[in-house]
Order: sequence, then structure tokens, then C-alpha cells
Amino acid sequence: MPTLFDSANHSPPINAQQKTTANTTFGAGSEHTPMTPLTSFAVHPDSVRFETQEEQETVILFLRQHFIVNVPWILIAFIIAIAPTVIFPLVTHILPISLSIPIGYIIIGTALWYLATLGFVLAKFLGWFFNIYIVTNERVIDIDFFYLLYKKFSEAELNKIQDISFTSGGIFAAIFNYGNVKIETAGEAPNLEFEMIPFPERVVETIRSLTEGLPNSI
Amino acid sequence: MITQTFPGTLWLIAKLFTLLGVAVYIVFAGVMVRQEHLMANVLEEGSEAILRILTYIHLALAIGIFILALIIL
Repeated sequence: MPTLFDSANHSPPINAQQKTTANTTFGAGSEHTPMTPLTSFAVHPDSVRFETQEEQETVILFLRQHFIVNVPWILIAFIIAIAPTVIFPLVTHILPISLSIPIGYIIIGTALWYLATLGFVLAKFLGWFFNIYIVTNERVIDIDFFYLLYKKFSEAELNKIQDISFTSGGIFAAIFNYGNVKIETAGEAPNLEFEMIPFPERVVETIRSLTEGLPNSI
Repeated sequence: MITQTFPGTLWLIAKLFTLLGVAVYIVFAGVMVRQEHLMANVLEEGSEAILRILTYIHLALAIGIFILALIIL
């Protein structure tokens, strides 16, 4: 007699289902994004490890703010860089004052100017480079550095996540597809906000798929 | 056109202030090197070596300018 109804033997257990869902979200299982210094969205990055990572913990998403957020300071750096050769001669040509400055001061002043420009670029780039968001198979992490001197490490376990949403608005956000992802957590765990990250809808979907099947899941 | 020349004492004060400014900048460059080390301890992703080299170059240039200022000013 043919079997019309079978037991639930064919359906995988919840944990297996959960892993399958997480791994197949946007091809995350097969997708391995290679890391470069300018990477702002990486799925299953191979070479990423962070300070408090545990043995069995794997990084699923690695995020930084969209590279477009760097454009204002890049423009400022460009203006600062061309100032000694373009703007200063223009100003001294317009103003009716001529200072006789020794050549040594001109050399040191110019060298210091370009060194300060390099320092400005380095500080801004380090701030962007090390301001990161990580989604692992266990938790969501937000690491922030402020003014090179202050560090803030926030995390929320996946089973503490109660609600997740994203907002994306404005011309640039629409063109470059970035937005903010807000993660609300239960209890005393802090709420997290991933600011100006690329593909916010993919991030929300991935976190949602990871939390499916967990207690208190969203 | 107004041309201004400063007396020698004023240039000596300017030299001291320049050296002081560059010395403060060296401290800033040193802080940046230290901070890069701390940040790299938090995150390992393979590109920290490039940034580390850049911060060391930045510090070396700052020290170089200080020495140059001592010699030519």
C-alpha cells in the first residue's frame, strides 16, 4: 500500500532549519566576500576576527558605513592640499601686504601644512575603518571609536532581539542604497543602531533569518 | 604695496613657537600610532599592516620636520 501520509521525518529539526535559512539568505552560505581596506559590506568574510570572538562563533556579516560618507572629508582634504599652491598665492595677490618671510619658514610651514593634511586624512580614515558592525551566528556587535581616543563596544545576543527595522531616506541614500538599521532588544541590553550602512534591507533580512526559531524571536 | 619686515627677536619667538607646535604634533602622531595598535587589537581583518605603516611614516615625517626646523630656522 503506498504511503499517503508520512511522519515529520523529512522535515529537518528547527536548528537545522534555522541554519539552512541563515545560510541561504541572499546566497550567504556560498558567498564569501574578499576583504579589502575599503570593504563596507562583506558576507562570511574569511579573514575577519574581533576582540571578544569565541571559538565556535562565526562572522556572518561585516559592515562599515557606506564609503560615500567619506566624501565630505575627502573634499576638505583636497581643498587643504591645494591651498598652498592655489589659494594662498591668490590671497597674497589680492591683499596689498607683502611679508618678507625667510625661506626656512616657508619650507617648514609648507612641510607642516602637508603633514597636517596627511594627519587629517589618516585620522578620518582610521575613524571610518575601525567603526564597524558585525553580525555573527550568536550576536550583533557595534564597535565605535570617537576622536581616536574613546572606544564603545555594544552587543546584543540574537535571542534578545525583539524588533528590527531600517530607514533609508534622501537622494544620496536612494542612489547609493544605504540606510540605518535599528535593533531593539529586550531587557537591559542596549538598543543598537547601524548607521549609514550599505544594503540595509539585506542586513535586516539576514538578522531576521538568524533569529527565526530562537526563543523570543521577532 | 605695504612691505613689512620683523626684527630678529620676533623671528626667534616665531622659531620657538614653530618648534613647540611641531613637538605637539609629534605627540599627536605618536598617539595615532598607539591608537592604531589598540584598534587593530579589536579588529583583525588583514589591512591593518598598511595603516600601521602609514601611521609610522606620519610619525617619522613629524620627527623629520622637527629636526629640519632645528637646523634651518
